Amino acid sequence: VSGVPHGPVLALALPDRQPGQSTEPLRLLDQAVVFPDVGHGDPAWDPRSGLAGHLATYGQRPSSVPLGPEDLVEAVAGIGLTGRGGGHFPAATKWQAVREATRRTGVRPIVVANAAEGEPASAKDAALLCRRPHLVLDGLALAAEAVGATEGILWLHGEAHEAHRVLVRALQERRAHGLLEPTVRLATGPSHYLTGESSALVRALSGGPALPESHRVPTAVEGVDGRPTLVHNVETLARIGLLARTGVDEHRSTVLVTVLTGGRRTVVELDRGTSVSAALLLGGWPAGEEPLAVLLGGYGGSWLSWDRVRSLPLDETSMRAAGTSIGAGVLAPLPHGTCGVAEVARVAAYLANSSARQCGPCLFGLSAISAALTALRRGTGRRSDVRRLQLWAEEVDGRGACHHPDGAVRMALTGLVAFADDVEAHRRHRPCAGADGPGLLPVPGEGS
Amino acid sequence: VSATQGPRLLVDPVACDGVGMCAHLAENLVRLDTWGYPIVPLRDLDPAEVRSAGRAITGCPRRALRLSR
Repeated sequence: VSGVPHGPVLALALPDRQPGQSTEPLRLLDQAVVFPDVGHGDPAWDPRSGLAGHLATYGQRPSSVPLGPEDLVEAVAGIGLTGRGGGHFPAATKWQAVREATRRTGVRPIVVANAAEGEPASAKDAALLCRRPHLVLDGLALAAEAVGATEGILWLHGEAHEAHRVLVRALQERRAHGLLEPTVRLATGPSHYLTGESSALVRALSGGPALPESHRVPTAVEGVDGRPTLVHNVETLARIGLLARTGVDEHRSTVLVTVLTGGRRTVVELDRGTSVSAALLLGGWPAGEEPLAVLLGGYGGSWLSWDRVRSLPLDETSMRAAGTSIGAGVLAPLPHGTCGVAEVARVAAYLANSSARQCGPCLFGLSAISAALTALRRGTGRRSDVRRLQLWAEEVDGRGACHHPDGAVRMALTGLVAFADDVEAHRRHRPCAGADGPGLLPVPGEGS
Repeated sequence: VSATQGPRLLVDPVACDGVGMCAHLAENLVRLDTWGYPIVPLRDLDPAEVRSAGRAITGCPRRALRLSR
């Protein structure tokens, strides 16, 4: 990153851990967090969700102020921290853009923690919010200080009742403890897949509807109320909270993934580079069984056959080299005996329904794609449907104000490839036995 | 965009209602998708194309087209 003066990273001093305390490297989570049995973020369940337990484990939040915020910016650049909401955009680049815009315009910047996890299969943000709320709030405070902001907003999904309760308590604890830090307020958005889309949240927090917008000026330059705005996913912020304590040298590169298996979402923290097959086992997938395919990233992610995905390392650089992405960190393995065509059709219907209905190609294109997939699922698809799906997907890709249609098309097209044999069988009017079943992937509002 | 490159034709997909006037006014640049929404080239335009794009921009009843600069 240019423009960052080189200097010591002393401000990121080691935490004041007590003698005799474990010297294990600090991590985000020390054990898997299983949903729906998350345990209410209750200190009795997990002491680190309370401030006392948090401070005992991680120590005081080192302020980035004494040597200037440059040190934290440099550390964030040094570990190559990228956004963990799915876009994997370099965090340091965002910080520089916000600081640059603030310098140029003189308008006070603001920081937003994007905690609106609209992805039905994901629970990593919920795990952090419920179990490590103070680490997320530390990261928010550090990011705010680094860009010179005195205000922060934590933006929640409409369904995140538990996280909301935990955060209200966490903020009360911090105030009672007299922590000197930027003011943080909670804001709750609608219960929608797109609540966490960054232009939608900026619009909502500026008093408008929570709907995506065609970007002209970057959020870093003109975001909430026209102010330079730094938006980070909660995992990114929790990592900043951790990095401020470890410094670059003791930083441990990990990935948070949500494994969807056995009707449960299990959030595990893995060393970067762990293979997908090892991740599935740690997330509760039964040993000795092989799935048909895995939906990787989220509902806007990619279906990959087991042969293609099993040994891929969970590392965004490697994933991109293999033509795919970790996205929001979802791993949804599809067991034998389930119907891939049905799952693709169900998710496509959900994504079509989740369109903000603002852009024609998304509104009409995703509906058409969903209808064709549903016909295939039922065994009433025509020979031309598969060909038309390809054409429509090409027409829709990249043509919305946000990336929602791009993700939906990626999910549908990779599904057609991963389940090519099933698609062919369905097209010959022989749907699988499981095609009419209730399905495996969680689809909010299905059947209503 | 540097001085040596031409501008690009951009569609605001939220403002666009698929009226389709652009495809008549700039036949060489704009084609309509299955649902009648414009697909524009993802490249810099030459001077003749810029004139054609200008007609589409002026004629759009939704003010959904513009040139990048």
